[in-house]
Amino acid sequence: MSKQKHSMQPRPSHDESVRQDFVTDMRAYLTDEIYSLITPHYEKKIEPDFIQVNERKPEDKSEVKSLMLNDRGYQSWSLLQRLSQQMMFTSVIDTVERNLNSMIDELDNHQSIGSLDIDESLDVPRYLTAYDIHQQPGGYHSENIEKDISAGAVYDISLPVYSRNAMGEENDLLAQAIIRYIDDHLKTFQPLEIMDMGCGIGNSTLPFSKKFPDSRVIGVDVALPCLRYAHARANALGVEAHFSQQNVEKTSYDPDSFDLVTSTLLLHETSHDAVPKIIQECFRLLKPGGWMIHLDVYPFHKKEEDPLYDFLKDWEVINNNENFSGALRNMNMRKIIEDAGFSSETVEFTSAEAAAKYSKGYTGDFYLKLPVYLAQKPSN
Amino acid sequence: MNEKIKLPRVAKGKKPKYLDDGSIDNLMAMIMTLTQEISVLRDRIDTLERMLEEKEIISTKEFDDYVPSDDLEMMRKDRRHELLERVLLPIKKELE
Repeated sequence: MSKQKHSMQPRPSHDESVRQDFVTDMRAYLTDEIYSLITPHYEKKIEPDFIQVNERKPEDKSEVKSLMLNDRGYQSWSLLQRLSQQMMFTSVIDTVERNLNSMIDELDNHQSIGSLDIDESLDVPRYLTAYDIHQQPGGYHSENIEKDISAGAVYDISLPVYSRNAMGEENDLLAQAIIRYIDDHLKTFQPLEIMDMGCGIGNSTLPFSKKFPDSRVIGVDVALPCLRYAHARANALGVEAHFSQQNVEKTSYDPDSFDLVTSTLLLHETSHDAVPKIIQECFRLLKPGGWMIHLDVYPFHKKEEDPLYDFLKDWEVINNNENFSGALRNMNMRKIIEDAGFSSETVEFTSAEAAAKYSKGYTGDFYLKLPVYLAQKPSN
Repeated sequence: MNEKIKLPRVAKGKKPKYLDDGSIDNLMAMIMTLTQEISVLRDRIDTLERMLEEKEIISTKEFDDYVPSDDLEMMRKDRRHELLERVLLPIKKELE
């Protein structure tokens, strides 16, 4: 059974809560008990059958793909994995829908800290409207009612279901990984002006306000239902941050005005055209000597030795509306960052780490390690 | 604000087919949803029985002898309708 983490979060009923618990357990089972069988199944059955006919191993991911899409075992796991995502959203949307009017009424009581700037004329880019990322119905931007916050609330309560409750009480594990990286590698860095790009509900924004109490932290996103929720959520948690509805490809802020620009899981949800624009905007926004740090899912330019692994990595692309994440991996990110003006000797592709405890019946530690890419704007 | 809002339940995007044709995929979705609902019921009954036991209120025999009223029958009919709505969502999606 879930407990409310802050006063804006919708509280599931008994049945909604255990319905969400079932999805958590189903996802854990699919990963631990079924997905873990796929590589052995491939090695013992699929690959030997292929070798018998062709007298060689499958050589790339497209060859593996054509074998796997005809394999009943793989396809069954794949279908169930996709269904688990749909069932997660369905079970969470019930809670949000039932509580929506009262949550919207609560908004007025959650405005005193920080700020929210709205630009109702803003065009939401096509890469966010053409399909619903992660299969969240309506995506992050859709408005179903006046002052809608449903997309933000759905995101907030689906993350623990998605992660076996391992993203931390405030869903902030990704930002904690960036903060730990700063602590370990940029030791004396004390940013005063911070921007979190693609901030969504601000779960990766607020940790920077808490870590750097003297700073002014701004979260920017195009998705209004998430931003409204973000501002109210920040108030519920008593943390100051300023949220602004803008497209991070080109914001309204002055050049040379930020010490740190971050993003978590942003770039792989954008497009070929948007990525260089976002990097250029980071450069424009940063003060000389300021740092850009992006955390994302997959490393760049890593030629996979193993075509099976290469194929499996694309699962989200094909099955979970992560349409750009495959293409992003093939972009020359170093060149994009250097072309934007960043000092080439400071450009780094590495990884950030954080650890959390599983909860609610799951024991042990969840260890998160995701790629980060960072660069420093040259000092004058 | 009293407007009863209905949020979307279906995501926009590609709909891959997995097993044979879409009907088997839909069957799998229905089976998993049913399994989920069985799990919900077990958890709810478990909560109920534990609370009743803790409070020393109702014995198992009293449960078995219980006869629902007409109003309760009506409520249960509505609840079963909601269950069917949830289980048959994949079919609705095919037609929408």
